[in-house]
Amino acid sequence: MTRLWYLFGEALTSFRRNVLVVSAAILAVFISLALAFSALVFNELVNLNTIRWQQGNHIIVWLQDDLGPIAHTDLLGQILAYDEVKSADYFNKAQAYQEFQEMFADNPAILDEVDPNVLPASIRIELTDVDLYESVQFRLVGEPVVRKIDVQVEAIERLLSVTRALSAIGIGLVVLLTTSAVVLIANTIRMAIYARREEVGIMKLVGAGNWFIRIPFILEGIIEGLIGGALAVGAVLFGHYILSGTSTDFFIRLQVSGDFLLRWSVAIFLFGGFAGFIGSSLGLRRFLKV
Amino acid sequence: MIRLEGVTKVYDGGIVAARDVDLDIRKGAFVFLVGPSGSGKSTLIRLCLREERLTKGVIWVAGKDISTLPNWKIPYLRRSVGTVFQDFKLLPSKTVGENVAFALEVIGRPRAVARRQVQQVLELVGLSTKADRYPHQLSGGEQQRVSIARAFVNRPPILLADEPTGNLDPATSVGIMRLLDRINRTGTTVMMATHDHAIVDAMQRRVVQLDRGRVVRDQRESGYEGNLDSTIEGKA
Ligand SMILES: Nc1ncnc2c1ncn2[C@@H]1O[C@H](COP(=O)(O)OP(=O)(O)OP(=O)(O)O)[C@@H](O)[C@H]1O
Ligand SMILES: [Mg+2]
Repeated sequence: MTRLWYLFGEALTSFRRNVLVVSAAILAVFISLALAFSALVFNELVNLNTIRWQQGNHIIVWLQDDLGPIAHTDLLGQILAYDEVKSADYFNKAQAYQEFQEMFADNPAILDEVDPNVLPASIRIELTDVDLYESVQFRLVGEPVVRKIDVQVEAIERLLSVTRALSAIGIGLVVLLTTSAVVLIANTIRMAIYARREEVGIMKLVGAGNWFIRIPFILEGIIEGLIGGALAVGAVLFGHYILSGTSTDFFIRLQVSGDFLLRWSVAIFLFGGFAGFIGSSLGLRRFLKV
Repeated sequence: MIRLEGVTKVYDGGIVAARDVDLDIRKGAFVFLVGPSGSGKSTLIRLCLREERLTKGVIWVAGKDISTLPNWKIPYLRRSVGTVFQDFKLLPSKTVGENVAFALEVIGRPRAVARRQVQQVLELVGLSTKADRYPHQLSGGEQQRVSIARAFVNRPPILLADEPTGNLDPATSVGIMRLLDRINRTGTTVMMATHDHAIVDAMQRRVVQLDRGRVVRDQRESGYEGNLDSTIEGKA
């Protein structure tokens, strides 16, 4: 027990000794992991928002309620006759509400606020070729039964290509920053060893075990990594909280599930500790030879 | 206790600091290593601690062949060998008591046991009233006593000293030698490297003289320059 406290105490002491370098290392861990975590959340948001499109809903035609189901069915038949249309499905108001419930299953506040009746019926169109959306859109404009036409293709294609580019850049940055974070941690450990070289020399001389000498340094690296990870998790959760409050459109979700956040928060935090472990092991490698 | 057989040490630069050294030091012996600067005294001590690896030969310390000792066992070797150096090697931020206790803490002795042992060894070296002082508040001789206390607190069977009186005036040196002699009388094997003629002459113990890495003299109960009437330590 006293040994354990000794080891922790040593790690903390050397912490205080190099506030500046240690802060730099923690900052690097923080930035790289915050970036990684935000990228994950962003990616999840894109997935959530494109899922309908991926299921083939290229165009959504929202319908007027007051013209009745017969007008709706007529329009469906008309649309199905278009050459460009591969398939089209009618979604009545009940189905619309059900879908809405599924989308916001984890957000009962919104569900409570929305009256099932305000959700309109719609026709979901899948095109033979997504590039043909304009001619379909053109023919549907002006139909009395059409309330609004949402073309998802263009926006989503652009979004997806941007996302792909961003992910590539993001992965590159995360790798680069994580590497530099590990190197910075290794550096703080080297400085800590240097600051305590006299003590380490005496410890070796009187026969302290190799791991007994190493553990405080390893702990120091792990603690730095965990602090950086915790800050990153905190920042991203806070950012997500702010962002999820700004959603103005029901159909663009800026909120991911709590489950997703929890799982990745834990993973990012632990990864911070792991990066610290790797960093301190690197920093120790050359020095503590017997 | 310590046996060297054909020990040769060549440093990276090609300097041969030990050349085919044979030495047999029995339990309870007191041996001086003498010789001019650069003759290899410190090298032999470092080899016995495995601070350096030997190039050729075999070294036995406390019944173990340390030339083939795996790295992870080195701490155990060092727990059975106390060390004292010219520059004391005390931690300035720790008190006398803490410096001595440090040697026990880092090998995992329980606090209560450590406290008792520290108290005892400080009495042995005559510093029990100064346990709460810091090294800079002590004279050189007192600091060396602390370092001897730290080396001996764990009751190792062997004590290696590299010029322990090198920084001290003659009167203080005599005090340190009395202390080492007392420790030797408890059965501890002592090997000490020194330049100090007066001490070696006064003690009349076994003297091993080195020159450019070679043993050129090994005499029982000798002075620094050797006595005509003393015998060469052949079999012993
Ligand atoms: N780490 C090292 N690398 C290379 N050469 C070394 C090293 N340590 C010592 N030497 C050389 O080995 C030789 C023996 O050195 P050593 O320190 O053992 O001598 P010494 O007898 O203790 O001398 P002194 O009385 O001055 O302390 C010297 O020529 C020295 O320059
Ligand atoms: Mg020397």
